[in-house]
Amino acid sequence: MLARIVVLIKQVPTTESVRLNEETGTMIRTGMDSAINPLDLHAVEQAVRIKDNAPDTTHITVLSMGPSQARSAIREALAMGCDEGILLSGREFAGADTWATAYTLVQGLRGLFPFDLVLCGERATDGETGQVGPMVAALCGLPLITYVNRLTWDEGTITACRAIEGGTEIVSCPLPVLACVLRELNEPRLPTLAGKVRAHELDITVLDGEGIGADKSLLGLAGSPTRVVKVIYPSFQRNTQLFLANDEGMEAALDHLETSLRRAP
Amino acid sequence: MVDRFSSVTREDMMTLARIVGENNILFDDADRLAPYSRDESGSGHSAKPDIVVKPQNTDQISRLAEYCNRRHIPLTPRGAGSGLAGGAIPLFGGVVLSFEKMSAILEIDTENMVAVVEPGVVTNDLCLRVAEDGLFYAGYPMSVQSSFIGGNVACNAGGAKVIKYGATDAHVLGLEVVLASGEVLQLGGKRRKDSSGYSLLRLMVGSEGTLGLITKIFLRLIPQPGPTADLLVPFATTEDAVAAVPRAIMASQSMPVAIEFMDGASLRHAMAYTGNVVSQVDDAEAYLIIQVEAAGKESLLDTYRPVGEACMEAGALEVFVADNPWASEKIWSIRRNCLEALRVIDPTVEGGDFVVPSTEIPTMMRFIRGMAQKYRAEIPCAGHVADGNIHPHPLKPNDRTDAQWEVQRRQLLTEIALKAVELGGAVSGEHGVGFLKNDILAQSKRDELRVMKAIKDALDPHGILNPGKLFRLGEHKAE
Repeated sequence: MLARIVVLIKQVPTTESVRLNEETGTMIRTGMDSAINPLDLHAVEQAVRIKDNAPDTTHITVLSMGPSQARSAIREALAMGCDEGILLSGREFAGADTWATAYTLVQGLRGLFPFDLVLCGERATDGETGQVGPMVAALCGLPLITYVNRLTWDEGTITACRAIEGGTEIVSCPLPVLACVLRELNEPRLPTLAGKVRAHELDITVLDGEGIGADKSLLGLAGSPTRVVKVIYPSFQRNTQLFLANDEGMEAALDHLETSLRRAP
Repeated sequence: MVDRFSSVTREDMMTLARIVGENNILFDDADRLAPYSRDESGSGHSAKPDIVVKPQNTDQISRLAEYCNRRHIPLTPRGAGSGLAGGAIPLFGGVVLSFEKMSAILEIDTENMVAVVEPGVVTNDLCLRVAEDGLFYAGYPMSVQSSFIGGNVACNAGGAKVIKYGATDAHVLGLEVVLASGEVLQLGGKRRKDSSGYSLLRLMVGSEGTLGLITKIFLRLIPQPGPTADLLVPFATTEDAVAAVPRAIMASQSMPVAIEFMDGASLRHAMAYTGNVVSQVDDAEAYLIIQVEAAGKESLLDTYRPVGEACMEAGALEVFVADNPWASEKIWSIRRNCLEALRVIDPTVEGGDFVVPSTEIPTMMRFIRGMAQKYRAEIPCAGHVADGNIHPHPLKPNDRTDAQWEVQRRQLLTEIALKAVELGGAVSGEHGVGFLKNDILAQSKRDELRVMKAIKDALDPHGILNPGKLFRLGEHKAE
């Protein structure tokens, strides 16, 4: 029987100096170099490893919402070994918060039903919310496993290790299921040249709001209940304290250091 | 100790303090002098200076040189201390002149495409600054975030981009130099060519602080090139990897930016050290990293594809592709940390730096394998294979004492370097001679060395500038 996996990925800027539109509170993405969100790479890798074990009976779809440049992120996942790429793209999606994004992805997922496993990274490096994966699971009515650092698939059941405070929780769950994964799960492969060429030649399906049968009022900025009230850039400063081993000697300097560290919040 | 030199007296200290300001000297403070007694050539080499001075301008350096010259006090210039040949170690004590307070980017002339900088600028900072104006400084060594541009010029540093852009000397248009006498010379400038007389400019680049003190540098800039992709290419044997290099170059429409070599051991050690893991192939003995530049993102695949295919035709086991900054950095952090990774295993590890015509690399690698057997030691190798420049890193075997290994390693690296010379190579490709390779320089360039010495005597008759470097000079203080 064919195992169907969907990997949700996001394209994020590779720059360290992300700028925000202060009116909308959304990220300015124009002209920025971008790549697959690093945690999503682990989700892609996991899917491809499952396929490595059963290449003829596994099908992996990569699904993303983003501008047309996000095609390159989808192609990267295809180059790693995924089979099919779908990009949800259209002006109506612009400015989506996590809620509208999850709704959009769920509409995209409906077209892919039935599937067995949905994988995504635990969070994205740009928004850092970690909300979209769990929201998608909730909206789809799928069981959700978060913070996954180990995952095995065996005869219709997923067994996952969850990193929890102070230990590990082992969860078994029937399919279908959505898992949000951590970087400890695996080491993502680099795509091969043959994979890159294959990915370049594959068509990526692009769907807009109409294509996924979405309620337009729930898309993009209009469909986003989140309101960004104010954008503040944190200032980077180091409060250096020097503890010199001067006349009082090294022991005294170490005492001062210890006192200071104990006082620190 | 060579008796031609004077030690720094308290009176000298007060004079030097008057020249640079009393907050800009270190004297009588063993702990604070200690960092100036060594560089990155391995923990086994150090010699303490009598005093460290930190001048802030050319005039101060001129007065320092004039004074030291008159008093016959050794004067060792120092950049970031990231050198690998002991060039910044004050072998005869005296004054260490640290350029750390001359770190200004004086001018970015976007019209002439020239940067004018002080020698203490961190090369990486310069690269980031010129990028803001859409420009590119192409002379970029591997010690990315530490080395100073002054040190790069003094050693004629190479790095990974030499095959396309040349070593540091290809980018230096002008220098301001203080001679031992204190005289200030302006060599070259913003002009891109000059055929009027001997090129003293070229003479100064790579002179390792033995002929003059570099106080200002004019650097050639070019427009920022297009996006890059990196190919990580495993091969079953070193011979296969080396044989693929000319084919990869010919297959690229323009010269690749970099073709780097790592043997399997270097890759494994560096992956463990950095925590960065890249795709490997079980049977691979050697890896190439090939970087190409494209005109735009759209043409990136078309640029690296023929290079990768040429590698596959040449017997590559696989071709892995990194075409975004994160994936590329993963690969390059491994390559850059080859030596640092080995220092965890052997803190005294020292890097060789021979260069040969690139067709001779397989012969050299076989010779190095022979050396590994002869000395019963592991010798991981990495380097700039398209330049014919390889760094062998012999590791201390557990069954040898430090003292035994120090002697054996010196013999081993000397044998490798002289083999390179026999094959038409040189004993240093990019790290310089410092004092660690004095003897093999003397053996490999006997006639040239006589002329070099005559030039040295003409410009620095008392031999105060970086004494003991390039030319052996009696017994020194280094431990």
